[in-house]
Amino acid sequence: MNSPVQKPRGWSRAQVALAFLVLSAAIACGLAVYSSASSLIGLSRTAFSVLFLPLLFSLVLTFLLDPIVTQLEKLFSRTVGIFIVYILALGFVSLLILWITPHWQEFWRNMGTDFPRYTSQAIEGLKSIMASLHERLPFIEDYGFPLKVRSWAEQLMAAILAQTPQSAMKIGGLMVIVPLFTFFFLRDGRKIISACVSLAPNRHFEMAHDLSYLVSRQLSQFVRGRIIEAIIVGLVIAAGLSLTDIRYAPMLGIFAGVTNLIPYIGPIIGMIPGILIAFADLGAGAQFWWIVILYILVAQVLVDNFILIPVLISRVANLHPLLVFFAIIAGGKLYGVIGMIIGVPIVSVVKITLLEIRTYRRNFRLPESALESERPPLHVNRQ
Amino acid sequence: MDPLWNNIFRKKLDEESLSFFLKHLPIFSELSPRALSSLEKIVHVRNYKAHETIFEAGDPGSGMYMIRSGSVQIYAEDQNGVDEELARLNPGDFFGETTLTAPAPRSASARTLETTELVGLFRADIIELAERNPSVSSSILLGLTRVVSERLQAASHEIRRLRNQASIQISPENIET
Repeated sequence: MNSPVQKPRGWSRAQVALAFLVLSAAIACGLAVYSSASSLIGLSRTAFSVLFLPLLFSLVLTFLLDPIVTQLEKLFSRTVGIFIVYILALGFVSLLILWITPHWQEFWRNMGTDFPRYTSQAIEGLKSIMASLHERLPFIEDYGFPLKVRSWAEQLMAAILAQTPQSAMKIGGLMVIVPLFTFFFLRDGRKIISACVSLAPNRHFEMAHDLSYLVSRQLSQFVRGRIIEAIIVGLVIAAGLSLTDIRYAPMLGIFAGVTNLIPYIGPIIGMIPGILIAFADLGAGAQFWWIVILYILVAQVLVDNFILIPVLISRVANLHPLLVFFAIIAGGKLYGVIGMIIGVPIVSVVKITLLEIRTYRRNFRLPESALESERPPLHVNRQ
Repeated sequence: MDPLWNNIFRKKLDEESLSFFLKHLPIFSELSPRALSSLEKIVHVRNYKAHETIFEAGDPGSGMYMIRSGSVQIYAEDQNGVDEELARLNPGDFFGETTLTAPAPRSASARTLETTELVGLFRADIIELAERNPSVSSSILLGLTRVVSERLQAASHEIRRLRNQASIQISPENIET
């Protein structure tokens, strides 16, 4: 009986050596796995950060083009339909480039002279405000705001000038990659989703399949609605501005459309440059007030809130303003300006997914409980 | 290299292909080759081990299963909590077809009895096909409706027969005996 207790004490040298070897091998293996895993995570993070933008743009483009391709699929095969859409899109984009190029050169030339003028005017305005503030509240110290604003504006201008060639390269890369990705998403998107869903275990496959259908339908509606809304708001503002004497109307329209993707804050940011330019160039006259009315009343209240949002976007996707701020700040921290624009839609996407799962579960719980309440009379009948 | 080229160029033996299996089901027997090939693209082939639960009563039901190989037991719990076998299904049979068009919880449970290969056809795919290709989806649904109606007719016939039997049993001369 004693032998099991005795045995460990009497380990031979060979056994100790073996135990030592096994232990150190285990520790080495653990370290190796850990370090390779962390480097793998690092690698995949690098790869993801490169792929993030092209994937995002191609997904959005896929959501936009999918209904058109589906309509064409009734006549041709899906691949032929995609090619037709691509040829049309190519024609449209080249026309757009032809139209925009001269404006674009003029825009840059004017920006070089106009931007310092706008900033100096803004600084003058700020100075007068500070002076009047000083008169009324003399105990406020002079923080040198105008100087800070001037250096900030100069930095911004320098950054824009330095980044433009770089971002042009990036945009050139995107112009090649995004159509390629979009082509495959359009052609094989359904197959990719069903391959992912088929990884689910048998017991949960049916629910996963159903949910993926419901969620992807909601998502495509949401993304499509948001993009169409932004395009229409941008067009309305560009058209409204070109009725006045303001310069850069198309650019301001594009800016307002893009910022319109951010709820609450976006429209305000979108109207700042337009109103500043209008004030600097046109003064506080009738045209200035028309531009203010255009931005706030026509584009935001009338077109966006009364017409577009009720038609295009379901109220399901509404986020709490606090959540919107979180999304914008976190998105800006992660991916800069683009992160700020896409942060809110991504949070909405997560919310839509969760809501869809909840309604799905609730829908099927109700009839089940009804079934339970029906059961007892059934048994009575049987007896 | 080889598997890739095989994948593209191999002519599948007719009898092992999915479309061969689908064509020989009574539901899809009248489909055109084109409809069959679109059907082949939207069904899901799932492999089950022996004694694996496919679904349980009360689960959200969203489609039907066809048995390609193996066998399936349909069962329900009676009031004592004991499983009661309702049906035993073999290759070529199908089940769960009532939830294909009308979303409802499953009314009974199903489990496999041996290693089984099932072919699932789900509502979401049918709806998507109806948007893309209405004529094909309507011919698939017509076949389905035909089989479901046949089953319904058989069921109402059975109900009438059982009611007649019951009324004979309840009639006075039977009660005394």
